Amino acid sequence: MAALRSTSARILGASSRPATLRLAAAPAARGFAQLADGATESQKASGDPANMKTFQIYRWNPDTPTEKPRMQSYTLDLKKTGPMVLDALIRIKNELDPTLTFRRSCREGICGSCAMNINGTNTLACLCRIPAEDNAEMKIYPLPHTYVVKDLVPDLTLFYKQYKSIKPYLQRDTPSPDGKEYRQSKADRKKLDGLYECILCACCSTSCPSYWWNSEEYLGPAILLQSYRWLADSRDERKAERKAALDNSMSLYRCHTILNCTRTCPKGLNPGLAIAEIKKEMAFSG
Amino acid sequence: MIAQRVGTTALRRVTKPNTFFTPHNLAKVALASQFSATQTRPVATQKLTVDDANSLLAKQRLQRPVSPHLDIYDKMQTWYGASAWHRITGCGLSGALYLFGAAYLVAPLTGWHLESASLAAAFGSLPLAVKGGVKFLLAWPFVFHSINGVRHLAYDLGVGFQKRTIVKQGWYIWGASVIGGLYLAFFM
Amino acid sequence: MASIARSSLLRQSAFAAKSLRQQSVLQNAVRTSAFHTTSRRNILPPPPQRVEGTVNDAVPVPPPSPSHGSYHWTFERLMSAGLVPLTIAPFAAGSLNPTLDAVLCAALLIHSHLGFQSVIIDYIPKKRMPNARKFFMWGLNAATAIVGLALYEFETTDVGLTETIKRVWKA
Repeated sequence: MAALRSTSARILGASSRPATLRLAAAPAARGFAQLADGATESQKASGDPANMKTFQIYRWNPDTPTEKPRMQSYTLDLKKTGPMVLDALIRIKNELDPTLTFRRSCREGICGSCAMNINGTNTLACLCRIPAEDNAEMKIYPLPHTYVVKDLVPDLTLFYKQYKSIKPYLQRDTPSPDGKEYRQSKADRKKLDGLYECILCACCSTSCPSYWWNSEEYLGPAILLQSYRWLADSRDERKAERKAALDNSMSLYRCHTILNCTRTCPKGLNPGLAIAEIKKEMAFSG
Repeated sequence: MIAQRVGTTALRRVTKPNTFFTPHNLAKVALASQFSATQTRPVATQKLTVDDANSLLAKQRLQRPVSPHLDIYDKMQTWYGASAWHRITGCGLSGALYLFGAAYLVAPLTGWHLESASLAAAFGSLPLAVKGGVKFLLAWPFVFHSINGVRHLAYDLGVGFQKRTIVKQGWYIWGASVIGGLYLAFFM
Repeated sequence: MASIARSSLLRQSAFAAKSLRQQSVLQNAVRTSAFHTTSRRNILPPPPQRVEGTVNDAVPVPPPSPSHGSYHWTFERLMSAGLVPLTIAPFAAGSLNPTLDAVLCAALLIHSHLGFQSVIIDYIPKKRMPNARKFFMWGLNAATAIVGLALYEFETTDVGLTETIKRVWKA
C-alpha cells in the first residue's frame, strides 16, 4: 500500500516535469539495448555537467534459455552515483532496469556475495571503485567459466562442495590439558594470518585457468588456501590425513603457479603462496 | 522506472492488453493503482516435493551457459601471461627435439642427411636473414623458458609471491627474453 | 487530478507498448548478431552442468597416490633444477664432454616427457574423455621411447647435442 501511494505521488510529480528516465534508441547495428540516465531539470539549469559513464553488463535470462547471453549497456551519471561499482549496479537495478540480477549483501567486502568480473579481473563490486578520471565503458561479467544462474549470478555449488571435502574444521583427539580451550602460541597464531581472512568469494578460483579446465577434479586456489589454513593450524591433529587427501595428480598438483589468484584476490591474500607452502610441506616431509 | 512499473502493473491487471484503452478499463486501472488497499499476487504458486524441485533444478542446470573466460579475462594475465608462454615455449622446444629425434631415426630409411656435419653445411648455405630468423625462433623460446623456469623454481621454494613482484617480473621476462634471444641469434 | 493521472497513464501505456515493440526488435537483433563472448572456439567445450549429489554432499576425495602426486612433483622439480647447471655449463665451457652431453639429453627427454604429460592431463580430462586420454598418454610414451632411441643413436654415432647446436649456430 505504501509503495502504491508513493507511486501515485510520483506519477503526479512526473507529469509536471519530464520523466527522469528515457529509453534511448537501441543502436541497431550492434543489437544492444541501451538504458540511460537523463539529466534533471535542476542540473540543466545550473549548468553542472553530468559525468556519464556506460556500463556494459552481461545478461542471460533462465526464462528464455535458448536466447544467447548478451551485453546490455546502461549509462549512469556518476555525479548521482556512489563511488563503487556496486553502488552503480544497485542504482541501475533501482532506477533503470529492475530485471538486472546480481548478488550483494554487506557492501563492505566481508560477505563475498558481489564477486564478479569487472574490466577483466575478478573482484568484489563493493570494493571496486568506478574509475572517474576516464569515461571508458566498464565491462561487467559474472565470474569467469562458471555456470550462470542469471545475469551476474554464478552457480557456486561445486565450489562449496569442494570446500566441504577438505573438512574445514578443527580435527583433534587429545583434550586440552586444562580441559578448557586449545591454546596456541603467538607464533603459531601468526601462521594463520593471511589465511583466516579468506571470505570464499571465489574470485581467485574462477580466475585460475587450471580451475577453468579442470574444476571437476582440481580444488582451485580458494579451497587450497583453506586447506592450508588447517594444515598450518598448530591445534589440528589430522595433518597426515589432510595431506593424503591432496596427494594425487588432480586435487592439488594442477596448480602451475600461474598466480592469477594472487593478483586478483580482493582481500589482498596470497592463495598462490599458500599452495606453494602446501607443495613444499608435502615434498619435504613425506 | 516508476512510470514503467505502473505501466506493467496496469498491463498485468487487465486481462487483455488490447482492451486497455477502453475508458471503462482505464478508470478501473486508475482506481486500482490509487485506492486499492490489499495487495493481490496475480501469479499462482504451487508446492513442489523435494524430488520434483531437485529434478527441476537439474533440468535448469543443463540449460545454463558458461560465463565467458579467456575472451574477457585480463589479457596480460591470460594471453600474454608468462605462465601460458612458459608452456607454449616449452612445448615448442620439446616438440622440435621430438621431431628432430624421430626424423633422425628414420633418416637412414628415407635417405635424409641429418648428421651434424650435413646439418651445419645445409644451414650455412642459407641466406643470412633466414639464418638469423631461424636462430631467433629457437633462441627466444629457449631464453624465455629458461628464465621463467628459474622463476618457477623460486616459486616452488615460496619466494617472489608479492603481487607487485609478479606483475613486474612478468614484464621483465618478456624484455629479457627478447633481448637474450636477439643476442643469441645475431651475436653468438 | 483524475485528468492528470489519466494523461500520464496513457503516456505510460503508450510507452510500455513502445518498449515492448523495441524489445522484440532487440531480440531479433540479438538472435542475428551472435554474442561475441560466447565461446566460438569449440575446443573442449565444458559439458552442460551436472552436479552429483546435493549441495550438502562433499565432492569425493580421490584415493592417495603419491607416485602421481607429491613424488611426481618432487621428481619433476628435481629434473628442472638439474637442468639449470646443465644449461649454463655449455655456455660457460664452450661445449660439454660426451658424458655430460648424454646426461643433458636424458634430462631433456625426461623433462619434455613430464611437460607433455602435464599438458595432456590438463587439457584431456580423464572423466570426460577416457579413451582420448589413454590414446594420447600411450602415444606420448611411444614418442618418448622413439626419441630416446634416436638420441641414443645420435649421442653414440654423432658429435653430441651441444656440439651439433654449436656447429649449426656458427655455420
